Amino acid sequence: MKTRSELTDFYYKTLYPTLKDLDEKRKHLLYRIAVVGVLFSLVFLFIILSLVHSVDFIILALFAYVGIGSFIYKFLIKDYTLEFKQNVIKPLIEAISKDLSYNCHHHIQEHLFNRSDLFKKPDRISGNDYVGGLIKGTKIEFSDIHAEVKHKNSKNKESWSTLFRGLFIVAEFNKNFTTKTLILPDTAQSTFGDLIGGWLQSNNFARDELVRMDDNEFEREFVVYSKDQIEARYILSHSLMKKLLTLKKRSKHPIYVSFIGNHIHIAIEYNKDLFEPSIFYSLLEYKIAMEYVGTLHLALDIVNELKLNEKIWSKS
Amino acid sequence: MSMSLIIFIVVVIILVLMYNSLVSKKNQVENIFASVDATLKKRYDLIPNIVASVNEYMQHEKGLLSEVTKLRSDANKPNISNEQKIDLDAKVSSALGSIMVAVEDYPDLKANENVMHLQATLNEVEEQLSAARRAYNQAVTDYNNAIEMLPTNFMASAMSYKRKELFSIVEQERKNINVKELFN
Repeated sequence: MKTRSELTDFYYKTLYPTLKDLDEKRKHLLYRIAVVGVLFSLVFLFIILSLVHSVDFIILALFAYVGIGSFIYKFLIKDYTLEFKQNVIKPLIEAISKDLSYNCHHHIQEHLFNRSDLFKKPDRISGNDYVGGLIKGTKIEFSDIHAEVKHKNSKNKESWSTLFRGLFIVAEFNKNFTTKTLILPDTAQSTFGDLIGGWLQSNNFARDELVRMDDNEFEREFVVYSKDQIEARYILSHSLMKKLLTLKKRSKHPIYVSFIGNHIHIAIEYNKDLFEPSIFYSLLEYKIAMEYVGTLHLALDIVNELKLNEKIWSKS
Repeated sequence: MSMSLIIFIVVVIILVLMYNSLVSKKNQVENIFASVDATLKKRYDLIPNIVASVNEYMQHEKGLLSEVTKLRSDANKPNISNEQKIDLDAKVSSALGSIMVAVEDYPDLKANENVMHLQATLNEVEEQLSAARRAYNQAVTDYNNAIEMLPTNFMASAMSYKRKELFSIVEQERKNINVKELFN
């Protein structure tokens, strides 16, 4: 697998003609968005001013403005997005490994997200940018995921809230295990302190038994629940705890991990749609480039980082 | 209801909760020790195979091999206390570690498929054992804290609960076990 700097080289050298071409298209697109945006706003303003009846009408009109506006925006960037994904993201993934496949429309299957048990069951799941295949003989797949739950108020009015939005990774784990172990960000202890937070964690009836780990830094960042105190520690060896801490530091976002059915599930909460083309900044900007290269490398490097390919004897 | 009755009921509830918490901590220690014991037994069962496989090659380490065999027979004696088991575990870990280091000096032995398989199996058992020891240590720490901290220490001394011994975690376990090295 290519290193992060090799991938950055690939992005700036091999993909340079494509990026240059796409950046020209981006500039035209930006111009088109500006023209359409101004025209649309003027038309809308004219309609509102000529038909204004009440405050309720203005509020409704503003909702319509945002709704129609975002629909037009998505329509305008559709072709550019597709071209970017096929000509930039796909070659980047192929450069990482020939054994990986990419589909910009698919996402991780819902049953895998539910199997992870990291979040409650969503009512609606969407996503894109599916990558799947083998890294050093270890099966791995990931995609963007947006999981939402439905709420109904007293007037039976529906609303949706986000349960999880970010990168969802599933990979084979290198040890056999039978029970379920969950690792969640330690919000209780960091909010309420060791004493009250610890008490709250050990009395979380929605989860299995609390497992206190013998690594202080890991304990500060994460909370572990499992049905089996020994198996949780069999999975979470001292070295794996250190590696998960490194992964958290590298991703700079909250991380949720679960070990179920001999697989590791990792959810990184970016709270945005990843691998989407930059419209307002140049694709050649280093920060933008690193967002694509860095995120892809982080997801696929999990096999190396967590040494998932080094299988324990009983697993082979 | 009089105030004194309410206070009495509250005190009784607190005492019952304290008692139950101490008993559950003691039982947790015993439950986990049973798992440690089972894994220790798995490792003791591997010893005769390891000794038989390396015996003819390792002429200079006869003392080490007979020591590990003796430790195994000590561990298999009936009615040995948990403290003795913890002590034997440390000795066996160190003796097996020395044998595995010595294997490195014998290229024929290192390449022997049977020995390679035994090393890998031992490695797996050691991983399980390490997890069991760490779980036991955490359970014992919770138990020891409860019998020494206020207010449960009064109840614990009334129940004549004593401090329990921890397993010493070998420094090697804190390092990443590199399975690849086994095949080199």
